[in-house]
Amino acid sequence: MSERSSASSVPAPLVGLASWLVPGLGYWLIGQRSRALAAGLSIIILFIAGLLIAGVRSLEVPGYGPHGRPVLVENNRSSDELDSGDWALTSHPLDEIRAKPWSIPQIMAGPIDLLFSVWSVRASQTGPTGAPIGVRSHSRTNEIGVLYTAVAGMLNLLVIIDSAYRAGQTEGQ
Amino acid sequence: MIFHLLAQSAGYRPFLDPLPVWPNYIWPWLVVPLCAAVSIVYKSIRCRSMSRVPREALSITFWILLGLAAAAVVLAVLVRGIVERQ
Repeated sequence: MSERSSASSVPAPLVGLASWLVPGLGYWLIGQRSRALAAGLSIIILFIAGLLIAGVRSLEVPGYGPHGRPVLVENNRSSDELDSGDWALTSHPLDEIRAKPWSIPQIMAGPIDLLFSVWSVRASQTGPTGAPIGVRSHSRTNEIGVLYTAVAGMLNLLVIIDSAYRAGQTEGQ
Repeated sequence: MIFHLLAQSAGYRPFLDPLPVWPNYIWPWLVVPLCAAVSIVYKSIRCRSMSRVPREALSITFWILLGLAAAAVVLAVLVRGIVERQ
């Protein structure tokens, strides 16, 4: 299990990007495969465990409301129940992201967060029974799910920085 | 605990329904996998050799859990001993 960096010529920014795309892939690209598996699988399992505990609707998606409809802004009023107006994510992106701050650490987990965010929006919309397809979690269950997903994203940020740094060291040698 | 989870989880749809983990004898245990994952990733980053990661991650998980338990005891003593008496 000892880690020997193979003489990799993968540029550090590419390693960082790969780490964001798939947690641990950056380590894999610079030849540190057991490190890639340990870190990557831990992050992915933690993220998915959070969603299994609290459900996909615990992911609050910027630009979309609790009913899975786009949040629109009209006359300084923003709601997902308005019929017309500008989409909040393009007209007031900072306000919209500030209103859903957990989305910032969660997006650090990579495209897996984007995939589950799409599912979250769809699960928030009403199904054939007239009720939303997914059930929204509350109180501790929701907090634990959000914590798991946000911590997974923050851990992946550490992995992105570390793998890019290690790639830079390898390049410099 | 397991019987409660099994009974409450009948009809559970993964990712669409929240797990029934709200009883006070279940949810505190969810800190264990969280601490384990943080420890594994942290030690994967810090350790030069991956062969040291399992033992060091287990050790740091234990210390994090001990720290959390100590903080919980201190807070419980503060709340029950001081705040609730007033």
